[in-house]
Amino acid sequence: MSIKQLIFRNLKKNLKNYYLYVFALIFAVALYFAFVTLQYDPSMDATKGSIKGAAAIRTASVLLIAIVTVFLLYANNIFIKRRSKEIGLFQLIGMTKGKIFRILTAENFFIYFSSLFIGIFIGFATSKLFIMILFKITGVQAIATLAFSPQAFVQTVIVFSAVYLCIMLMNYVFIKKQNILSLFRVASTTEVKKISLLEMIIGIFGIFLIILGYYISSKLFDGDFTTMNELFLAMIFILGSVIIGTYLFYKGTVSFIFYLIRKKKSGYLNIYEVLSLSSIMFRMKSNALLLTIITTVSALAIGLLSLSYISYYSAEKSAEKNVAADFSLTNVEDAKQFKEALEEKNIPYREKLIDVIQVSANVTQILDPNLKELQFGPAAMTIPMISDDDIENIDLSPDETLFAGYNDFLQKFMSLKSSGQIELKGRHEVIPQKYLGLKKEYYISYYFTSGGLPVAIVDETIFERLKKDMNPKIQKDSTVYIGIDIEEEAKIEEADEIFQKISFNGQHDSRLAMSSQQKQSMGLIMFIVGFLGLTFLITSGCVLYFKQMDESEDEKPNYTILRKLGFTQSDLIKGIQAKQIFNFGIPLIIGLLHSYFAVQSGWFLFGTELWTPMILVMLLYTALYSIFGILSVLYYKKVIKAALS
Amino acid sequence: MYILEATKIYKSYGNKFNKQEVLKGLDIRVAKGEFVSIMGASGSGKTTLLNVLSSIDQVSQGTIKIEGKDIVGMKEKQLAEFRKRHLGFIFQEYNLLDTLTVKENVLLPLSITKTAKKEAEQKFTELAAELGIYEIKDKYPNEISGGQKQRTSAARAFIHEPSIIFADEPTGALDSKSASDLLNKLQELNQKRKATIVMVTHDPVAASFSSRVIFIKDGQIYTQLNRGEETRQTFFQDIMKTQGVLGGVQHEH
Repeated sequence: MSIKQLIFRNLKKNLKNYYLYVFALIFAVALYFAFVTLQYDPSMDATKGSIKGAAAIRTASVLLIAIVTVFLLYANNIFIKRRSKEIGLFQLIGMTKGKIFRILTAENFFIYFSSLFIGIFIGFATSKLFIMILFKITGVQAIATLAFSPQAFVQTVIVFSAVYLCIMLMNYVFIKKQNILSLFRVASTTEVKKISLLEMIIGIFGIFLIILGYYISSKLFDGDFTTMNELFLAMIFILGSVIIGTYLFYKGTVSFIFYLIRKKKSGYLNIYEVLSLSSIMFRMKSNALLLTIITTVSALAIGLLSLSYISYYSAEKSAEKNVAADFSLTNVEDAKQFKEALEEKNIPYREKLIDVIQVSANVTQILDPNLKELQFGPAAMTIPMISDDDIENIDLSPDETLFAGYNDFLQKFMSLKSSGQIELKGRHEVIPQKYLGLKKEYYISYYFTSGGLPVAIVDETIFERLKKDMNPKIQKDSTVYIGIDIEEEAKIEEADEIFQKISFNGQHDSRLAMSSQQKQSMGLIMFIVGFLGLTFLITSGCVLYFKQMDESEDEKPNYTILRKLGFTQSDLIKGIQAKQIFNFGIPLIIGLLHSYFAVQSGWFLFGTELWTPMILVMLLYTALYSIFGILSVLYYKKVIKAALS
Repeated sequence: MYILEATKIYKSYGNKFNKQEVLKGLDIRVAKGEFVSIMGASGSGKTTLLNVLSSIDQVSQGTIKIEGKDIVGMKEKQLAEFRKRHLGFIFQEYNLLDTLTVKENVLLPLSITKTAKKEAEQKFTELAAELGIYEIKDKYPNEISGGQKQRTSAARAFIHEPSIIFADEPTGALDSKSASDLLNKLQELNQKRKATIVMVTHDPVAASFSSRVIFIKDGQIYTQLNRGEETRQTFFQDIMKTQGVLGGVQHEH
């Protein structure tokens, strides 16, 4: 058999084993190519213009390459170790190391570069789809064009060739370092021994660290950490404690828990426990570092994706919060101009005028007692105030005040009691009021509420009294809120176009523009995080799958024994399913938990909806991730079937 | 009453153009409570015979009955069911699962048949004491000696009281002291528990512990020796003599 035939046969054999590797490679190349194409695409200017799209996409492509390089090197490492026997055999029959290296290089060259070009082709074919997805989620109105970008092509080929060289370098070092004997001995060995006291302590400590991290993360924005410095330190602490905790969890906790379960069985294990508990107990330990990295990065990916999706998802709601009508103005002249333009186009509208003044309020009595150390003085908080005459369905007596404009973020930092006494202060006068509670509705725009403070609603008489006595130092430029609602929803867009064309003098906001702008920036981030997350998911799924391939080879003799003892194939497969539920499920659940607590601690900074977007992201991640678990069970099926023949 | 009856079994490998016949019409009968050794040179087909008899491999032709049930033509599920109830195995390479402790390894066959935990515990204690592995029950296979491993393997073969136990070169990897230890135990178990044992070996010493030795040559039975009332020592001499006649390559002049 000539060398050429040898290469060809190896190739054929390996393709079957490594289809997933090829798939991951093709996917990564396609994604990279699509990203680079986007970067050079002229139609991207639409997204680039408003936000730094190109820079974001470039950063994403660099990150993508980083993930892919680590994955490819890791996967290659697994493969070359698996083939060490074959390499030893070549050496034994007198091939030089140089020649073996050339064979491997040639083989890899075929697989790698054919995947590369298939990937580029798929990337090219789908780049229009990518652009369309991007436009769709960012809400940019532009036509996606399909143009082959030579620049993108060259860049992709160069970058992936560099990665190929890295892989070859690694193979070279591997072959150089081996001698014939050691090549025959590479097969991984699992260290099996009794669990020591130290491991138990490590196990318990790991759980403790994770829970501590979670606990602090839930307290992060509760007001215990008030300065930026403290917040920062707390975050670093959480990160450290959770990551180290995760590592110790894999290193000790898993085997410790499984050990306890086994101990309880006092030696009488059924087949499922034999295949799952006893194997994972020893193997997870040796993969602790890898699993920690996978868990942490998946948690990061899920967390970021959830947050950006939360922000995207609640774009409309946040806009509603910030802009109390379809359009809000603060200048009568501006409003007049806009109204005239609307009438000209025959767009019916409703106008709402509310006088707003700023007053100083003493809210010490209704503030939660543990928040006394806030930066602003609760004794003299500047808040906007409006009269109950301007609000329908609200009629207050002169000694009552109602707050409106509920804000999650504010509630976290400054939670108010449901009733109590407050004082409203003018320049000279201090009026005690009975506080009735906080309403969710928004009556005026964020210009008046300084971004998120509640607005005080008082009786008309009080309003007039304080208006006469108002403190000019704390007033805004405008004391009137003009809200314009368009009666027909279909015409809002048209009205927005008119609105954008007029040059106003005062503060002016369009709810539609605000929400679409947020959607645009968040959409791009989501797009990038989404695809990076997907790449990471696929690569880490592949790594776990390859690990399982290895493990199944290691455990093949066990399956032979078990089948000889009279366990059927389906008995074994059921056991393997249990094992894979742990193998893939533990990192998944830990990753989900991490990201849940991360998102939980700070989601209100990003939007108004937590559950729907987060659960959607998590479900999607779980579903895609499970595919690799299922694939690995299928692989095991083959191994088990071949175990008794 | 024969517990194992194999008639006219043939086994060949390869396709019809390149056929390698390994077993050529063997007949074997093993009575209940017998301790039978199968001897033969390398390549004589003894391991194939054992695999076929123990349902791990399929015969090409012929019938094999264990306790009157024909195992040729059984489906994989039925075979597995049959193996777990009626057969026990001891292998040269011990074949213990290294992630399980000695006790867990021994109790495996009982977990297949879903024996009650209390009963399993009792059986284990009894058998482990007989085989001298009770003290090491919580150790992992890589922490014990070869002899202990093989006794663990033997315990696993005996624990569910199978109709017949197949041993494939059980002493092959042991030093002579551990080997005679194990064989003594096997003999004891054979006599005390009336367990039927079929053992493949190429070691005349090992074979001398059994009650009957079947010699195989080129896929056929060459001869048999019955121990009868002889001592182990004289039986060993007989085996050596027969092996001397049997051994060697045929010279074509």
